[in-house]
Amino acid sequence: MSIMKQIEALYTQRGVRARELRQAGEKVIGYFCCFVPEEIITALGLIPFRIQGSQREPIDEADTLLEPMACPFARSCFNMALKGQYEFLDGFVAPHSCDTIERMYHIWRSNTPSPFNHLINVPHMMGPSSAEFYKNELHYFAGCLETFAGRKLDLEKLRQAVRLYNRRRALLRELYALRKAVPPRVSGTEITKVLVAGMGIPAAEHIDVVRAFIDEVQQRPAPRPDGLPRIFLWGNEIDDIAFIELVESCGAHVVMDDLCTGTRFFWEDVPETDDPFDGLVQKYLCTHCPRSLVPQAGGRADDLENRFGYIREFAAQWKADGAIFYIVRYCDTCELEGPDLKEYLTQQKLPVLMIEDDYSTTTMGQLRTRIQAFLEMIA
Amino acid sequence: MEATQQVKTTAVKGTETAREVRALVKNIYKSAHEAKANGRKVAYMMVASHYDEILRAMDIVPLPTENYAGLCAAKRDMDRFLHKAEADGYSQVLCSYARIGLGFDSLRKELGRIPDNSPDGGMPLPDMMIGSSAVCDPRFKWYQATSRYLEVPTFAIDVVAPPPQADLNQVRDHYIAYQRAQFQGLIDFLEMQTGKQMDPERLWEAIRLGDRAWQLWYDIDRLRVAVPSPMPSQDHFSIMVAGHYYSGTQTAVDFYQKLYDEVKHKAENKIGVTAEEKYRILYGGGLPPWHTLWIFNYFESFGAVFAIENVYRGFDPVQVPSHVQDPVDYLAWRAFLRATRYHDQARTRSGSPAVEKLLGLIADYAIDGVVFHACRSCRATTIGQTHIKSELGKHCDLPMMQLVSDMVDLRDYSEAQWKAQIGAFMDALAARARRA
Ligand code: SF4
Ligand code: SF4
Repeated sequence: MSIMKQIEALYTQRGVRARELRQAGEKVIGYFCCFVPEEIITALGLIPFRIQGSQREPIDEADTLLEPMACPFARSCFNMALKGQYEFLDGFVAPHSCDTIERMYHIWRSNTPSPFNHLINVPHMMGPSSAEFYKNELHYFAGCLETFAGRKLDLEKLRQAVRLYNRRRALLRELYALRKAVPPRVSGTEITKVLVAGMGIPAAEHIDVVRAFIDEVQQRPAPRPDGLPRIFLWGNEIDDIAFIELVESCGAHVVMDDLCTGTRFFWEDVPETDDPFDGLVQKYLCTHCPRSLVPQAGGRADDLENRFGYIREFAAQWKADGAIFYIVRYCDTCELEGPDLKEYLTQQKLPVLMIEDDYSTTTMGQLRTRIQAFLEMIA
Repeated sequence: MEATQQVKTTAVKGTETAREVRALVKNIYKSAHEAKANGRKVAYMMVASHYDEILRAMDIVPLPTENYAGLCAAKRDMDRFLHKAEADGYSQVLCSYARIGLGFDSLRKELGRIPDNSPDGGMPLPDMMIGSSAVCDPRFKWYQATSRYLEVPTFAIDVVAPPPQADLNQVRDHYIAYQRAQFQGLIDFLEMQTGKQMDPERLWEAIRLGDRAWQLWYDIDRLRVAVPSPMPSQDHFSIMVAGHYYSGTQTAVDFYQKLYDEVKHKAENKIGVTAEEKYRILYGGGLPPWHTLWIFNYFESFGAVFAIENVYRGFDPVQVPSHVQDPVDYLAWRAFLRATRYHDQARTRSGSPAVEKLLGLIADYAIDGVVFHACRSCRATTIGQTHIKSELGKHCDLPMMQLVSDMVDLRDYSEAQWKAQIGAFMDALAARARRA
């Protein structure tokens, strides 16, 4: 099978590999968002599986148990669980990312409990005491997971897991570097498939996939200059290609992102510290996500720079011509962050289109005109 | 605006003392304006963050921005602020309290003064803003966004609570240690802003007053088990002002003492809210519809009285161990014990502290039916209602209903639909009464 076919299969049939592994006697631990260190799960010999929703399936069953004004990504995940599509999970781990995930943890746990269920409290504040608290939460999580797995966490194995995931992070950064070319060597749609494909398989297997994919891309003939605008994408959960495909089909290249399903989860390495928990805390707690509050730094301008400077660098290095925000509706922290980031990027002379959407492919058609108008404006 | 301001929003109160709350509310904004004029520090703040006593001990005048949003709704003067925030790019589904706050601050900045005829004179410019992660996400994020309109030192603290399944013996220490560090961080921030050291004795004094007021408030609620109900939920939505906005002051203690005496008198003399109390309702959760509080009187017209409620309710009193000698430690312990009050009970039955609390209220207050209010823009108090409703149904057989609107945004409210729903609910209550 060609590498693209393999990625396509992993992307479309997301639980297949996890089910296979389970049949072979492995235990699969489902988790949400960017705040659950997969390294701990892997070091205990378990398979981490990042829970995703489906923008293509209507949310039908969840509405009788979960209010429709909850984030539709979360509702979609729960909807799939109710329909038995996550029956292969031996464990269910939710970080306290936001109000919705925290509330949903209890609802999920009581309606479709897994043999192992756990909520990790993640501080919203950043600072030494938050790091200490999160470290304690990770120790408590690891302890509970040890009991479930029936084995002790070996710190050497945890160090190995840190190195393994850092290898994957480095490879993904290498892949992203191919997007710097003008035009980019690889499309945003392909990138999304590669990333989402990796969420449902062990990291070691994903590393092979990404390596093979990079090799394949490097053999492609260099694309001819097309003058199409280059887009930076900001938002929360985009685990389906529909939106990015739409932007690209309107005549643009999606070249860089700051998304829960993009750079946000892999960009920074876990520092290799003596106590591996320290490294995990350093990386995961500083994940750039609107749900974490960056302490105020000076006046408004300094504060915006402190919060969003990394995005300015992303946009500059990937030569973005404009930014599109894709906010899954009802995500309060993103809804509050969006206007600030828009102000900052506009000051940097980067035009912004802010879209709020329902995490559903059925609404894509309505977005086309707005995207086209935006692309014409920045062309 | 003129036309909508004519519309009645308030409810007829059951107690005399509740009628005095209006003055307390006015005084929040009046004293903030006076404080500004006298050079005292004023802070935007979030209620129920367990830090009230620290503010009082440091002489900070609190300006509760959520309350201001509720006030605007009760005055039916929210649209100009909501629309302004939306015009500035805030989503129509973002917490409407936050939208009103942002809209108000945006308009004030644009005009260079407080918008004309703002309810109760409007909020003066704060010297600082203090958010918190207690209860919901917008409460720690909103002030960061506000810095777009006013540049003042902004700070926030985490308020953490373990999930009910956590082994409290294993997590207690790190939760309390973190909570303590967060409070200490706030104290350090305030010391820097005011140039004054915090006096532990003053903090103890504020804690003593805070605990006393909340104990009285709890005692008042316990009196409300009386039949007929001596004080309905619409009064609760007023009288909570003392506990949440005056916590740590003598004013709150005096107010609740007076209310206690009145409610006790009513309970002992069987003076009820309505002439004939047919049904006793539990307000199961969700923020109240500030725009339409008269709806409680509408229920009463059918003989249905809201005997007790599960929102803005004072935390049950907790016993901090006597070895805790430092006031900041005390605050951290108290926050932890409040948050885990129903955890042990939950583990032995429903798994949910919220369900346990409601089951307790249903039994103690001889409840006949439960009403929830889903607020479209408040995730924190709405998500889980449907689930709680269905879990409750496993342990008791009562008519329950969920009304849907928003705490302030009228665009999500339909009077006709509510009245139809309430009619059906009354039928269910009547059918249940016949069966009994
Ligand atoms: S998109 Fe926002 S609301 Fe939804 S799960 Fe992520 S952080 Fe929570
Ligand atoms: S989301 Fe709800 S709890 Fe949070 S500030 Fe808004 S109204 Fe209050």
